[in-house]
Amino acid sequence: MKKINWQSFAFQRPYLFTLFLLFLAVVVNFIFQPNLFDRSTLNSNMRVFLPSIFLAAGQAVVLIGGGIDISVGSIVSIVNALLATQLGTEASPEKTALWLGIALVMGMLCGAVNGFFTAYLRLQPIITTYATSFLFAGIALYILPSPGGGIPGAISSFYREATPLGLPLAFYIIFLILLGWIFIRKTRYGRYLFAVGGQPDAAYETAVPVNSIQFSTYVISGLMAALAGIAISLLTSSGNAEIGDQLTLASVSAVVIGGTALRGGIGGVAGPVIGAIILGLIKNIISFANVDLWWQTFVNAAIIVLALAAPGIINLVRRKRP
Amino acid sequence: MSVSLSARSIVKRYGGVVALADANLDVQSSETVALIGANGSGKSTLSKIINGVVVLDGGQLLLDGKTVHFSSPQAARKSGISTVFQELSLVPQMTVAENIWLAHEPLKRNGLVDSREVQKRTEELLALFEGTYKAVIRPDATIASLPPDEKQIIEILKAISFDPRLIILDEATASLDSRQVQRLFDLVQQWKQAGKAIIFVSHRMEEIFRIADRYSVLRNGYTVGEGLIKDITEKELVALMVEKATAASVGNRARQSPYQKTNQMLRLEVTDLKTDLLKGVNLQLGDGELLGIGGLKGQGQRDLLLALFGDIPYTGVVNISGEAVHFTHSRQAIQKGVALVPGERTKEGLLYLRSILENLFLPSWNQYGFPLRMRKARSDGQKVVDSLSLKMAGFDEPVSSLSGGNAQKVVIGKWLLRNPKLLLLDDPTKGVDVGTKAEFYKLLEKLCEQGTAILFYSSDDEELLGLCDRVLVMHDGIIRSELRGESLTRSNLIAASLGASDGRVE
Repeated sequence: MKKINWQSFAFQRPYLFTLFLLFLAVVVNFIFQPNLFDRSTLNSNMRVFLPSIFLAAGQAVVLIGGGIDISVGSIVSIVNALLATQLGTEASPEKTALWLGIALVMGMLCGAVNGFFTAYLRLQPIITTYATSFLFAGIALYILPSPGGGIPGAISSFYREATPLGLPLAFYIIFLILLGWIFIRKTRYGRYLFAVGGQPDAAYETAVPVNSIQFSTYVISGLMAALAGIAISLLTSSGNAEIGDQLTLASVSAVVIGGTALRGGIGGVAGPVIGAIILGLIKNIISFANVDLWWQTFVNAAIIVLALAAPGIINLVRRKRP
Repeated sequence: MSVSLSARSIVKRYGGVVALADANLDVQSSETVALIGANGSGKSTLSKIINGVVVLDGGQLLLDGKTVHFSSPQAARKSGISTVFQELSLVPQMTVAENIWLAHEPLKRNGLVDSREVQKRTEELLALFEGTYKAVIRPDATIASLPPDEKQIIEILKAISFDPRLIILDEATASLDSRQVQRLFDLVQQWKQAGKAIIFVSHRMEEIFRIADRYSVLRNGYTVGEGLIKDITEKELVALMVEKATAASVGNRARQSPYQKTNQMLRLEVTDLKTDLLKGVNLQLGDGELLGIGGLKGQGQRDLLLALFGDIPYTGVVNISGEAVHFTHSRQAIQKGVALVPGERTKEGLLYLRSILENLFLPSWNQYGFPLRMRKARSDGQKVVDSLSLKMAGFDEPVSSLSGGNAQKVVIGKWLLRNPKLLLLDDPTKGVDVGTKAEFYKLLEKLCEQGTAILFYSSDDEELLGLCDRVLVMHDGIIRSELRGESLTRSNLIAASLGASDGRVE
């Protein structure tokens, strides 16, 4: 059966579609919020989007490598719970730095658990990370049974207000993420990543260390989730062990609208980063339009379902045509 | 450069199944050893043990006289062993250059991939097959965009890209046309002169005698014969491969002169059939006729079969049994008595993990009522199994337990149960051993005698010449010429394949 070459279509033009969506979202948002491009509005938007951007970047790496990580939201929750309980509002800078480091290690450890099960024990990624998401969520609730705790004010307000050279802090972080990705793409690791996601058997026969590469994608995803957790902790200055629950679905949709295939082996990180921004703008629009917030979840889910269904629908339509 | 590899008494089991019981192979610098055997004899397993993809259970692997133990392809590769895989080890979404250099990319001093060097060296490699491509292959073209023969060439280039000492060619010529095969063989000669060792795994006798210095024959996991090619004849070699009884029938049976039949009834008439690849195909096929389709790979043969089976959209007029039809789904085609035996049996023809019974009856269950009349199904199935002489442990065994040739019989058997009026065959003997091929040819003859109309695409010219009443040669989406009777000769077939009849040789 001949299939329409959706892959190469998506491969050649993912950015056009993503940029078009971004443009559309910006325009609609601008209508609701004419001061969208003011420095303070821009900054307040970007600092809210940043956690999702981290998650989208991490998720993109896992998806390119042929897996999926739906435990990222729970990792965010763990990190948030950890920081809010261990730091409090009075922690010294040294202690803060230490716990931020611990948070990052924690995220990578969670990723390593996912990676071990999926890469070395060959369990299905979607089921494994679905299961571990409950494991991690449970740990988060154990650390912080009810919302509370705090973050030192200085670092929190730095995150919220710093605008070096007049640009939001988030811009610099996005720049670093993209720089990191460009670097990865130019290394052998980058080639391995795409090979493992594209055709694992072929990669294995070509002497690519398939298991280690798959494992590493989950560690990267865990690290990005920890960074997202740190960002969200600084943003909210408090702890809530369920704060990450809503973020997982959005991370997958962001990758999808960023033009990275759910099947693996195709895509990049820039698209998903833009995807996360688009989703953030849509969320803004929804709240400005006085629509219930659950529509946001609906939009995210609809994007994923559509992305999964689109190649099939196109094929179906094509077949019906005489 | 010198190398010697010796596999001694190799044993490999998969669960309870013994793939290799006592396999031996010796190969040295500057020689080509043909590893020969019927499907399921263990050739692939043995080559995968040598290249580290599969770990052996017993026996010894000696490289340059020292025992080696390859636990992964990395280890074998470090020792200079490289493989052209039968199923290709390419990542379709990645580019030609990325695939060729995967895992040994030239790096710059700072550790990043040196894309300029990659580009340059890819072009050097591509030049080795210059003139045999349909269009210029760019190093940044994705593998998915290439036709099968060019994918195969990229797989070959990939295997030689790290200057290996030992090259395993596992059915490397299966998708190549004659010019590409010639080019490959020229390269093999060069590699031999450079001191490399080559293991050549193939079903094609003619190629084995052209290229190999020595042979090693596997049968059911045992090495049953080794020696110099010049000391053996094709017949003797075949006799070694095949268990005694079938050996006699292989010889010339398939190469009889074409049938002399008159068309009784026009079963299939196609007028101006067009798809993405096809540019207007016309053909007529009568009952009891065996019509061959030939030509170079990827000239639209597969599209023609798929369109007739309702698998891909097309325009044009198709008449089956005098009735105009336009299938948009294979179900409609099946209802009209059309059956397609697909080329890639693992993907399109079989549910690998399900039982033989389920596979056989998949298109036919609706004839067995509700609840299913299992006893009748089993007795009907047994008749088909007997007529195909399918070797199996039982109906309830998974198809994955069968050898390639027997698995292919299941694909054919499931359509025979429906008594097709028009049988479409998509290169059905690709990668099938000689013994099974011979049985298959007999089956085709029998079906023709019973009045089945058969449209038979084959990449094996011998089959077309020996079996078919007429052969349509396709080139670039159209039927370039029709060969029959006197004109059905090898030279005409090759000339027409290359598009020579109106001077458009590529």
